[in-house]
Amino acid sequence: MKAYQADIAKFEGTDTQIFGVSVDSVYANREFAKQIGVTFPLLSDFKRTVVKQYGIFNEEGGYGNRATFVIDKDGIIQHIKEGNEAIDPTSAEDACNILTHKKATQ
Amino acid sequence: MIKKALSFFLLLAMAAIAAAQKPTPTPTPAKTAPPAAPHTNLKVGDAAPDFTLRATDGKTYKLSDLKGKKNVVLAFYVLAFTGG
Repeated sequence: MKAYQADIAKFEGTDTQIFGVSVDSVYANREFAKQIGVTFPLLSDFKRTVVKQYGIFNEEGGYGNRATFVIDKDGIIQHIKEGNEAIDPTSAEDACNILTHKKATQ
Repeated sequence: MIKKALSFFLLLAMAAIAAAQKPTPTPTPAKTAPPAAPHTNLKVGDAAPDFTLRATDGKTYKLSDLKGKKNVVLAFYVLAFTGG
C-alpha cells in the first residue's frame, strides 16, 4: 500500500481512482491508513464476497491474496498482477497510462 | 558341495542386505504441504465483477458508479498492519 501511496500522483495524472481492498473492518483499515499515511480509500470486504468474486480468496487463511486489477472506464479488466508481483505498482501505472493514451488518441 | 552351499548362503545374505538398504518410500506429506495460492479465474478483457463496499473515508463505493468516469485500480492486500 505504501508503494501505491508514493506513486499516487502518477495515477491521478491518468484519471484513475485507486482503491486498496482487504477483508479488514473499516475501523482496522482507518487505523492502518493513518499508520502508513495512505490517503486513497481502503475498502472493507468484511464479508469476503469481493475477494471470492475476484477469485483470490484464501480459504485456509480466510483472507484475500495480494493482487492488483486495473479496470478501464468501460468496466473491463485491462491488467492483472497477482502475488508478490502485485506489490510494485509500476506495471499498473503503465497500464493506466496506456488507457489514458488510448482514450486521447481515439 | 560345501562350497556351493556357502556361495548360496553368501548370495542370500547379499540379497538380504540389498533389500534392507532399499529406501522405503516416504509417505507423501499431504497434510503438511500448504495449499497452492488461489489464482483468479478472471482474465484481461473480462468485465470486472461489480461490488459495493464501505471505505475508510466514510463513503460507500459502487464500482459501476465509476463507469465512464475513471479507470480503477483495485489493489488487494492481505491484511491491515502487514507489509506491502
